Formats: sequence, structure tokens, C-alpha cells
Amino acid sequence: MPSTQTPSITGLATDPTSLRADIGDAEVRRVDLAGLRALMEELHAQGYSMLLDLGAVDYPQRTPRFDIVYHLLAMPVKASSLAEVGTPKRLRVLCGVDGEQPLCPSVMDLWPSADWAEREVYDLFGISFTGHADLRRIQMPYDWEGDPLRKDYPLRGPARDRAPRPAFALKSNVVAGAPPSGRTLEALQAQVKAARERSARENEG
Amino acid sequence: MSTTARPTTPPEPMAPEVVSREGNSMVLSMGPQHPSTHGVLQIMLEIEGETVVKAEPEIGYLHTGIEKSAENLFWTQAQTVIERMDYLAPESNALCYALAAERLLGIEGKIPDRAQTIRVLFSELTRIASHCVWLGTHGIDIGAISVFFYCFDLRENLLDLQEAAGGARMHPNYIRIGGVNGDLPQGFLDRFDALLEKFPGRMRDLRGLLQANPIFQDRTIDVGTLTPEEAVRWNVTGPALRASGIAYDVRRAFPYCGFENYEFEVPTRTEGDAYARFLVRLDEMEESYKILKQVRKRLDTPGAIAIDDPKISAPPKETIALSMEALIHHFKIVSEGFRIPPGDAYASVESPRGELGYYIVSDGGNRPYRIRTRPPSLYNLQVLKHIAPGNLIADLVVMIGSLDPVFGEVDR
Repeated sequence: MPSTQTPSITGLATDPTSLRADIGDAEVRRVDLAGLRALMEELHAQGYSMLLDLGAVDYPQRTPRFDIVYHLLAMPVKASSLAEVGTPKRLRVLCGVDGEQPLCPSVMDLWPSADWAEREVYDLFGISFTGHADLRRIQMPYDWEGDPLRKDYPLRGPARDRAPRPAFALKSNVVAGAPPSGRTLEALQAQVKAARERSARENEG
Repeated sequence: MSTTARPTTPPEPMAPEVVSREGNSMVLSMGPQHPSTHGVLQIMLEIEGETVVKAEPEIGYLHTGIEKSAENLFWTQAQTVIERMDYLAPESNALCYALAAERLLGIEGKIPDRAQTIRVLFSELTRIASHCVWLGTHGIDIGAISVFFYCFDLRENLLDLQEAAGGARMHPNYIRIGGVNGDLPQGFLDRFDALLEKFPGRMRDLRGLLQANPIFQDRTIDVGTLTPEEAVRWNVTGPALRASGIAYDVRRAFPYCGFENYEFEVPTRTEGDAYARFLVRLDEMEESYKILKQVRKRLDTPGAIAIDDPKISAPPKETIALSMEALIHHFKIVSEGFRIPPGDAYASVESPRGELGYYIVSDGGNRPYRIRTRPPSLYNLQVLKHIAPGNLIADLVVMIGSLDPVFGEVDR
């Protein structure tokens, strides 16, 4: 929760990717959900042999709400020298998906490395991938509720109920709770006294 | 005397849907507290005798929500949590994040030469330090104890240099957006020279302990073999990809920090097995040493260590007593950070484990809108379920070691 001492200057951009000046870090292509699968098959055939990364971004103010972000790399698929690899083509594909339970086609059959990446997006954003062989949570526990990386998911949970403090009945600065059975100050003092006497007896004997 | 009641049904296996129990096979849960899993990896194994039929790694035991935390911190503060992803190579994370942020700020070409040199220095120091941990623990997995002590002794010298420059041993937070945090301290170069003098002899020791060792060779040759096609399909990068014969190194393919001006080789092997990965990493340490020697020559030239823009890089601390503007800039950066124009950018570096990338989105505010990591360890580890079946459990341990995952980064 941002405190008053660390002011949050929220940006006004609801769709930052559309405002982006050309940086030249990768070729960028935006595709709608219907054309995604066809484009991916085409790119795979064109020699984009490595699915470098697959992630998602949540833009709650925007329709479609989520962006799935693919980074592809055109890497030779045989042993190759530094010159043969050169600077491989890098491509970013952005695909918008929408809805409370969004659906997106899986690319796991084209690039098997998409397996864990898609599971992670499913786990943290709640976006399902049709055609994924084994879609289940990967980072969070299986019985977790909610999608942690969505913007409307809170950073912290509700404050835990404060555990009752260990209260001794006679201490005035502590709010007295119900002490556990027999653990009053007098009972403890009696125990300590008895233990001291016992050890003194053993030392004498 | 009454006996305590016991549950009548045995406990369910942890993920029964993952592996089936058919024929003569049995299910074994290896980890998450197994010492050879280098952290908290659990592997659900279906085994017949000692042969692995199916392996399904279960990750997430170290998930700390670093990406979520970073969205709620300033651009500068986020760097502290990001360094904790790959805790064996913190400087690689910091550098990559800084490069991505600088790309969005449009100041990529304005970083002073000396800052670039110092960044190269620490990205290579951290590579050697990380490979030292890998080699030591890989040796222990296989049964060679003594190599661990030689490795950690060398690593300690490297961490001393990190501590001298950044003030902390493990997470120095020294590389910042816009440059580095302060110039190298007095006496740093003498210690650096001493390290450069010590390194070749220590490297000979490390090679001598393992490279020609017949037991080590028996354990690693032809174990966990990856062909180039498989490596690319499974998105393996870094030393594991280069051991399969593809000379892809981000430092050469997409140069950053002036790596195009350094002379070094990209070691490759064609065998693609655990022994090839071992050799590639050892060669890489020696190439890093070559780079460090070139860095040493350039460090004699003094210069600025951060971009000349007080809105992004706070002026030196000692100036705040002399200049009101410096005090104001300090106050602004600490109390509300700075803003980055809206947009998205991807930047990657060659971390010790492979291509580490950050895809960051800014909405124009003073906090990152989204930081997506491309964790090399995650993808390198994923290939385990492809290469493990058909091998012995003992070889599985070698495979995990040779892929060198770091779980801070796998789980984030």
C-alpha cells in the first residue's frame, strides 16, 4: 500500500504500447485474437525457431484488457558459428485478449518451451490456453484463489488478526487476556521456587 | 495402554495427476529438500528400478512475487528486489533492468564510457563468481568435495571487490539507471590487480582437479545430451546452448555496454552433453578473464560514472552540503523518484545462465507498470523433462547440475 511519504504518480497512459516511439529493440507486430494462431504458424514456418519468452500485461482501463506478449528469435537450428548466428531477427508479437476468463490458443505444439510460460500466465493472470496439454498452476499453490499479477489483486492480504499477547495477570502495562491454564505469575513463581529448592537439596545430598 | 489412532488410508501422492502408477513403475518425489536440487526443486519421478520413465519438475517453492513487488516501488527502488532474482549474479539482473529502463528513457547512447567499463567489469566478475558456485556444487553432486573449497575461495575474492565498490557482498545495488553508484573506491585497482594475478593459477587448479579426472568424465560424458534442434525448440540459452554447437551469445548478437569493442571468443562445443557444458563454462571463465584484463587498461582513464542528468542520476552525495540544487535533486529522487515516458521496451544481457531479458512497460508514472522477466533458468530447467527419461536417477543429479538453475530466478 503506497504510504503518504512515497507519493505515487500514476501515469495517464491507458495503452502505453500504442504511444511508444520506435526504440529499435525488436520488430513489433500486433495481432487480434482470431488471427493469432495463423500468424504464429506462419512465423514458425518462416524460421522463428525460438520462442524466447511469453508473458502477459494487464491494462484494466483498456479493451481488450490483457496483452499476451511473445518474443520470437530466428535462430539457426543446426550447429553454427558466431558469424552464422550473426544478429538473429527478434520479433515481438502483441495479442489482446479480453474477458473475466480470457481464452487464448496455445502455441505449445509449435514451440514446446511455451509449456511453462503459458502455465505461468494462466497461474498469475488467469488466462487459459486452449490446446495446452497440462494447464495447471505453476508458481502458486494449486488451491490458491485469485490471479496475483492482475492489477486489481492487492499487494498485501488483510492484516492478520493479532495473536493474543502472552499476558501475565499481575502486569499492569499489558492488557490481561485469559492466561493459559495454570500459567499465572504466581504459578510460575511457585514452579521456579520448587525447582530451586530441589536443586539445592540435590547439591547438599 | 491405548494406541493413538492412525489414519487408515495412506496419504495421497503430492500431485497424483502428474504421473501415473502403472505396470512395474513406482512414483518417487525427489526434493524439494534434496541437496542436489540446488535449492527448492521437486521432481515427481516415475521410475522402473533406477531408470527414470517420466520426470515432472515442480517449481514455485521459492515464489516471492518479485514482479508484483516491483510494480509497487519506484523505478530506482525496484532495482533492489530485482537483484534478488538471480542471487548468484545480481549485477547481471541490475544491468539488464537498467538497460531496459534507459531504452525507454532514450538515454541509451548517453552513458559515459567509464560507467560502461565499470558495468562490463562487474558483469564479468559476477559471471566468474556465479560459475565458481556452479562448479563447486556440481563437483559436490558428483562426489568431488575439494573443488568446492577452491571455488569458494576464488568467489570470496570476487565478492570482496563487489563489496568494496557497492558496499554489500551479495546484493551491492551498484549498477543504477543512468550509470553506476559512485566511482571505484581507493585501493580498488590494487585489489583488482591482485585478483588478476591470482586467477590463472587458480583456474589451472580447477581444471586440474576435474577436467581429466576419469570418474568425473565417466559421470558426465554422454549424459543429458541435447542436440542443437532440441536446444532451440526448448528455448535453452547460454552455456547449455553453446555446448550444443550454436554460438549464440547476447554480448555478440545484441552488443550492450560496448562489448563490441572487447576481444573475446565465444567458446562452443558440439557434443551437447554435461561434460561439454562443463568445458564451455570453464572456457567462458577464461574469456571473462581476458575481458577483465582489457577492462583493467581502460580503468586508468578517469571520467564520469553516470549520466549528466540530475533528474535521473542523483548528484554526488558530498555536493549536497554545497549546492542547493543538488540537495533538491537528491530529495526529489529519494522521495518521489522520476518518471519514465510511456512505452514498452525489451532489453537482454548474457547472464551466466543464458539470455536474461526484461520486458518493461511504463505508463508514464514513477513506478514500473509491469516488469516481465525472461528468466534463463526457467527455460533451461524446463528441458529436464525432455532429457531425463531413460536415464538413471544418479544421472538426473548430473543433469540438474549441468543446467545450473538458480531458483530465485526460476520462481521469482
